[in-house]
Amino acid sequence: MNTALVATAPRGLVSLRSIAGRIGLLPALLVVLVAGMSAVDAQFYGIINVLNILRNASLLAIVACGQALVIIAGGFDLSVGAVVALASVVTAKTMAATAAAFPGSNVLIIASGVAAGLGCGVAVGLVNGFCVAKLKVSGFVVTLGTMSATAGVGLMITNGIPVYGMPEVFVKGFGRAQAFGLPTAAHVALIVILVMVFAQRRTLFGRYVYAIGGNVDAAVVSGVTIQRHIVGTYVVSSVLAALTGILLTAQVGSGQASFGGDRMMLQSIAAAVIGGVSLRGGVGRIEIVAISALFLTILGNALNLLHVDSRLQPVFLGVIMVAAVALDELSRGSKSRV
Amino acid sequence: MSDLELTVAAKDTDRPKLTLGHRLWSAVLPVALAVLLLGFAAVNRGVLSPANLLNIAQQTSYLALFAMAQTVVILTRGFDLALGPTVSMVSVGSALAMAGATASGHGAGAVLLAGLGAGFALGIACGLFNGVVVALLGVNPFVATLGSYNIAIGIATTLSAGRPVQGVPAPFSQIFYSGSTFGVPAAIVITVAVGIALHLLLARTVFGRSLYLIGTNPRAAAVAGMPVKRILVATYVLCSGLAALGAIMMTARTGSGEPNLGGALSLQAIAGAVVGGTSLAGGRGGVGTAVLGALFITILSNGMNLTRIDGYVQMVVLGAIVIMGVLLDRLRQERRQ
Repeated sequence: MNTALVATAPRGLVSLRSIAGRIGLLPALLVVLVAGMSAVDAQFYGIINVLNILRNASLLAIVACGQALVIIAGGFDLSVGAVVALASVVTAKTMAATAAAFPGSNVLIIASGVAAGLGCGVAVGLVNGFCVAKLKVSGFVVTLGTMSATAGVGLMITNGIPVYGMPEVFVKGFGRAQAFGLPTAAHVALIVILVMVFAQRRTLFGRYVYAIGGNVDAAVVSGVTIQRHIVGTYVVSSVLAALTGILLTAQVGSGQASFGGDRMMLQSIAAAVIGGVSLRGGVGRIEIVAISALFLTILGNALNLLHVDSRLQPVFLGVIMVAAVALDELSRGSKSRV
Repeated sequence: MSDLELTVAAKDTDRPKLTLGHRLWSAVLPVALAVLLLGFAAVNRGVLSPANLLNIAQQTSYLALFAMAQTVVILTRGFDLALGPTVSMVSVGSALAMAGATASGHGAGAVLLAGLGAGFALGIACGLFNGVVVALLGVNPFVATLGSYNIAIGIATTLSAGRPVQGVPAPFSQIFYSGSTFGVPAAIVITVAVGIALHLLLARTVFGRSLYLIGTNPRAAAVAGMPVKRILVATYVLCSGLAALGAIMMTARTGSGEPNLGGALSLQAIAGAVVGGTSLAGGRGGVGTAVLGALFITILSNGMNLTRIDGYVQMVVLGAIVIMGVLLDRLRQERRQ
């Protein structure tokens, strides 16, 4: 609510306080975490570790951006983890098949693989969107169903065995490559985030998503075509998950049905929620979600470097998640009382 | 505003008399169940054998218990994503307590008490955490229980060091798994008893009815003077308590404390409740819907196993069934209106 109000307020009146209000606590926590870890462990800011963090954070951020969009429109997407897996195996399978049919024509091979992977995303997104918008089934249940179905299809295609046979260029020249010192995934993530931020603020789609999530009835009365935009959010979410699956495939060098999964799905929701996206809909900004994804990744990395037992690490994640949202609720409560 | 909401809520509670059409609609799922069973039996006669029917009943009793637990919170527009990890945590905790009590030379009774005490204490603690975070801190149930999901997984794997905990005594398995009353296996007896008790609680007590009102219209419930927060905390404790009981039954079955016991149970239990006709929008559902949904999912997977349908295909079918179940329920709702 707060952010939505601020966003519609005339620009140029941004006081220092509202900047603090808009950005929130998260960047400060991030700075503290980075500074603290740098002081404790020199390995933390070593180039290898930084690249590692950037790679993982980029993948999570891309999925979380899509998830955030769906949640802002008042929905849920439990299927993103399964879509990551399906896109990965479909991309790898398609590339292997095309490589067998047209050996040597790398452009065709890669284009067909990427198209097939993204196509999976579009397909799952359309199913999700159709069931939610047209058939009016709750987003939670629909994506719970498509999660199971999508994961099943991914396993069916591969029998759980990793798929190889992608061109060298795709793995070495794209997935594991670096440009301007940054891994490919980071460039892709930056582009996705910039496009999403632009879409959120400057396009009708972005504004309508806020309107739908904020108050469906008001949106209907204002003439927003609800169904089309809800389908749009689910398609964007699934396509971004598929993109992550493709990036992950290029990085690892094989298509695997074990990519993504429940962990990726839960983390994307955690990133969105810690990044200030309200599960009630209508509130949330992509750039903060991206920072939140970076925060979660660095937190996991820090716990590893500090030799915190990997079994105990979920406890930290759980406590931080609940605390972040509880703080948000409490501050909102005190604001509305005033 | 609040007056309006009150009348709406009142309307919902004294439902119109059911016509024949409505009755037919509510028979859809049981009929689908029978068709499903007969269809599988046509492919493999073993499906309808007494041994397999007993097997189905026994398998259903676990999922039904978890679906009931989930239904209680779903009635109030919540849900418990942490149910699966709670089961793992309780399993590990109770096994450790029993192994410890045995090692320090206590008698069988004391060992059993230690196991049950530790199990229910952990379950209730988890429920209290969920309830307090949801009701008192006002955190969305999804986030709250996703948080405790992570916490419970962390505790379960840390306590057990990631390995199965041995040392579950034979009497424990005897009481909660292998024993039987008049030939009925323990799991079925326990689930039926709990089901009856929970049904009476939901249908006949002020607490039970208040869950429906909170789910139908939380503001009306608050305006009517209900202690909504306290009831919500109790609801989550009840849910986790039932999950703990299920965890104890499953631990007795495996004979060890398993840190992965809960696995995908959270979502399975939600699927069971929802397929049976519990509404995620709150206020609708009960023991019957939970049992029906659990029975449906169990028969489906049992039948698919016996007719040798690939496990991966089963995942796809299950996903489609969940969506169709809810769609069907929505259509039924629309007819009612």
